Amino acid sequence: MALLRTESLTKAFGALTAVNGVTLEVQAGTLHSIIGPNGAGKTTLFNLLTGQFPPTSGRIVFDGRDITGTPAHRIAHLGLARSFQRTNVFPALSILDNVWIAAFARGRSWRGLVWRRSDGYAEVTERARVALADVGLADKADQPAREISHGEQRQLELAIALAAAPRVLLLDEPAAGLSPDETQKMVALVRGLKGRYTIVLIEHKMDIIMGVSDRVSVMHFGSLIAEGTPAEIQRNPEVRRAYLGGMVAE
Amino acid sequence: MSRAWLAVLAAAVLLPMAVRHALATEIWIFAIFGLGLNLLLGYTGLLSFGQSTFFGAAAYVAGYLLKHYETNVFAALGVGIVVGAVSAALVGYLCVRRSGLYFIMLTFALNQMFYFIAYQWTTVTGGEDGMPGIGRPALLGVDFRNPLAYYVFVAALFLLSLWIMQRIVESPLGKILQAIRENDVRAEAVGYDVPRFKLLAFVIGGAFSGLAGVLYSMLFGIVPLEAIGFVFSGNVLFATLIGGSGSFYGPIIGSFVFIWLSESVSVVWERWPLLLGVAFVIVVLFFRGGCVEAWARFWSWRERRRALAGIAQ
Ligand SMILES: Nc1ncnc2c1ncn2[C@@H]1O[C@H](COP(=O)(O)OP(=O)(O)OP(=O)(O)O)[C@@H](O)[C@H]1O
Ligand SMILES: [Mg+2]
Repeated sequence: MALLRTESLTKAFGALTAVNGVTLEVQAGTLHSIIGPNGAGKTTLFNLLTGQFPPTSGRIVFDGRDITGTPAHRIAHLGLARSFQRTNVFPALSILDNVWIAAFARGRSWRGLVWRRSDGYAEVTERARVALADVGLADKADQPAREISHGEQRQLELAIALAAAPRVLLLDEPAAGLSPDETQKMVALVRGLKGRYTIVLIEHKMDIIMGVSDRVSVMHFGSLIAEGTPAEIQRNPEVRRAYLGGMVAE
Repeated sequence: MSRAWLAVLAAAVLLPMAVRHALATEIWIFAIFGLGLNLLLGYTGLLSFGQSTFFGAAAYVAGYLLKHYETNVFAALGVGIVVGAVSAALVGYLCVRRSGLYFIMLTFALNQMFYFIAYQWTTVTGGEDGMPGIGRPALLGVDFRNPLAYYVFVAALFLLSLWIMQRIVESPLGKILQAIRENDVRAEAVGYDVPRFKLLAFVIGGAFSGLAGVLYSMLFGIVPLEAIGFVFSGNVLFATLIGGSGSFYGPIIGSFVFIWLSESVSVVWERWPLLLGVAFVIVVLFFRGGCVEAWARFWSWRERRRALAGIAQ
């Protein structure tokens, strides 16, 4: 059964339909990629899935439960965690606190919220440290997030999503703005997460997609134009015309 | 115990020997007021220009009870804290979904609204003349009409407030509020109902303001109309910014500087708020972290000079 499903999901910004009747199924335990040219509506789709804003029409079903219109903070508690395309961390907080905040939210318990000292939450701190170790930032735990390099901020971006112990991990171009070396590291990282999480991955770089994905969906002008295994997608003539042609030539 | 706490304790003991008791008392009252504001300003990143709403509302209600019913001091304080928290919940509810300038203007406008209620409702508040005749009933045989006894009481309540506030900022809530200050979109995305947490910050800050308001009315025996006006809101804001809103202890330093300035300079120079304005501009332009940052920079400058001198030899 699909863990995450959308039915004719549509989002219009005035005259622009950024997401147009998208029906998508993400199977539990798989890595499902979403590709498409700039402005295809991929990030908007994530914003809908995570409740950033409600859809104009259509439904989102997570684990058999209709979550359409549920506010973002509640969706996070249900176990849908995301990373952002544009790095979106807490600049003045330490790396550890950045991740701790996400780990604490997932505990879904407000006990001791205003009174217990935060270093007394051993399991939360442990979960935060594991997430940092997963992305290779364990030794930077005490540095403020604004002081680390762009590449490390991308790793932190991922760690914040991981710390929530998500049931579905939504990654929006985790390698955005990375050097070839850093990209390699990020790909290895995502590959390492495969199997441990159900992952939906938005990515521009074709080599990454083809190497790691179980399934690929292609978006174009807000609509899904194809879906299949990486090999099928590469052969699909419509995809080649709409999108791959340009990318392959790159 | 940390060095900062030792310094605060030492100041609490030494202050009444250095200045008039009433002045010393006012400094700690204002520091409590500043602590409440700084949870919003420094930790949550919300510039509230209406803190005197909670301060004044608590002062009027508790002052009324003290004046007409000679209520027990603790009951008066309790009522003041609740009034501060409830009025802050009301104001917060209307403001937390706004941001930037709209937020500031709305806290200001609501403050004005409360001010006009106090101004108009002369039968209770005394309007422009204020509400005089507030006593300080004895507590457990201690006569609070004695200025030193009242000072000790206020200083003890300040220390208690400081301890409680420290627990709050070191709790998960403290981290969450800072996360909201840093990036409210991400805070929402990882699972925090941002408006609700902002509201909680308002309520806690309002409770502290309420406590300060009641202590203030007992100190001077009157609730002046200004206690709920925008000047008071501005004063606590400036004091906290000058002290250093980025630091837990900033509001205390701000309170010292502000009350001392207003006391010593205002007698010789009527237009002293101008000086306050200048200090504020200096802070905004050069020392965003207020006195705390200026002090830290001075020390690192001295260290560097020492190190250089060492090399020269
Ligand atoms: N909040 C918004 N308000 C108005 N228009 C928006 C908003 N968010 C996105 N859009 C528009 O919707 C379209 C799809 O944007 P989206 O960011 O989803 O594309 P994308 O597929 O993620 O592109 P990229 O690969 O560049 O990240 C774009 O034309 C964009 O300008
Ligand atoms: Mg995008």
